[in-house]
Amino acid sequence: MTAIVKISSLDKYFGRLQVLKNISLEIQPREVVCLIGRSGSGKSTLLRCINFLEEPSHGTIEVDGIKVEGGEKGKAHRQLVHDVRLKTGMVFQEFNLFPHMSVLDNVIEGPVTVKGMDRHQAITLAEENLDSVGMLFKRDEYPNRLSGGQKQRIAIARALTMQPRVMLFDEPTSALDPELIGEVLNVMKKVAKDGMTMLVVTHEMGFARDVADRVIVMSEGELIEDSNPQDLFNNPSDPRTKALIDRYRTGEK
Amino acid sequence: MNLLAQPETGGQKSQAELLYQAQLRTQRHFKTNVAITWFILLVSLVLLFSGPIKVNSQFIQDNMLFIAGGLGQTLQISLLSILLAITLALLAALGRLSKFPPVYALSTFYVSLIRGTPLYLQIMFFFLAMPQISPFWAKLPGLWAGVLALGLNYGAYMSETFRAGIASVGKGQREAAIALGMTPGQTMRRIVLPQALRFAIPPMGNDFISMTKDSALVAATGFVHEVMWRAVKVGRAQFHSLEALIMAAIFYWVMTLVLTSIQSRIENRLSKGDR
Repeated sequence: MTAIVKISSLDKYFGRLQVLKNISLEIQPREVVCLIGRSGSGKSTLLRCINFLEEPSHGTIEVDGIKVEGGEKGKAHRQLVHDVRLKTGMVFQEFNLFPHMSVLDNVIEGPVTVKGMDRHQAITLAEENLDSVGMLFKRDEYPNRLSGGQKQRIAIARALTMQPRVMLFDEPTSALDPELIGEVLNVMKKVAKDGMTMLVVTHEMGFARDVADRVIVMSEGELIEDSNPQDLFNNPSDPRTKALIDRYRTGEK
Repeated sequence: MNLLAQPETGGQKSQAELLYQAQLRTQRHFKTNVAITWFILLVSLVLLFSGPIKVNSQFIQDNMLFIAGGLGQTLQISLLSILLAITLALLAALGRLSKFPPVYALSTFYVSLIRGTPLYLQIMFFFLAMPQISPFWAKLPGLWAGVLALGLNYGAYMSETFRAGIASVGKGQREAAIALGMTPGQTMRRIVLPQALRFAIPPMGNDFISMTKDSALVAATGFVHEVMWRAVKVGRAQFHSLEALIMAAIFYWVMTLVLTSIQSRIENRLSKGDR
């Protein structure tokens, strides 16, 4: 099986500070990978490098056969970055729905504006995805009249309607009230079940344990552990992982 | 508190409700008193000009329509100028965001030059100084010279409003658009500008209202027959400037009141929907 996401020797500097240190990582099709670590460990930056919201300083990113060298400039590079963005869907911590558009317009904006998809076709697709996240009944509402959980479910539908090969989730439940987290995690489980390849930066250990095929632990810009959730949670090999998991355990109780 | 835990009985109102009603009463009371005072001030102004200061009512009757006839021109100048100003302001605001030094410089240079000189000077420049440069400017109708001067001036000030509007659109909005695969141009057109313009509409309304009054400065050139020009003309000719200027003042004031109420209606509609 060939990897759908392939990161090799990735470095990222903010000024003189190195936040990602020589990272290499492969993700297989249909795999659900959770990325955990303390804040400042570089996990969000790594995720954002994959669709070039952050430009990597060195190294290569390959998504579904499109290979981009980090730190380059020029028209050819921009085209490759654009192609990678079409292969990836992103869900943000703060939802980032467009407040001046209705729910439906939010979801069809990408396909119509970016892909030039026929409007009717986009609406059909959007309604399917809104239905699958349970938000079709709000199709004509405006985002500011919805709860955080509802907004995030719509944001997931928006990303799915671009028909990406990989979905990137950047702490999708961190900005939510505790009672709204469940509905978003359920939608994510459903997306995983439908066979989507997912990379999820999260603090939700329950989700990582139950849904992920692999859990990767980051610390100070490095991948310190990469294994299946059972092994990772039951007998972590790195003391830093153990400390992290213990922190969450005490936090949960 | 125990009071809050008690179930509400038929006629009894909760404490919060009582407090809210008391606040409403105070508010209504205040508004009534303000309205009464306004009325008293207005009546005393009218009495002042019918008793202690004698105005010539015959002159007012004779020239009312002549001065009012300038309202069309005043509104015409203001509308044309605001359209020019919005266009320039948008370009200048976008120029301020440019990473290409000449474009950034052009935008800041324009804003600095216009904000650094008086509006009156700018208007005079277009009427009096430009014809010296080329005969084309001498042939330009007075109205257009006025529109150019006012539009350039307001455009420079409004570019700051637009810039603030663009800045008010969060980084997350841009990132969401980019992640969808939008180009920078698409992101600006589809996501940033619509939100920035909504933010800028109330200040733009204020600018338009002050424009209707600043358009009076164009009268000084003598070529645009708007309200102010007409008032000065008949006032001087018959030595009744007092009456003429009072009439002009009333016209401007009423126009401002009407425009302000239209503006607040537009703002209400905007804030009702989605923000």
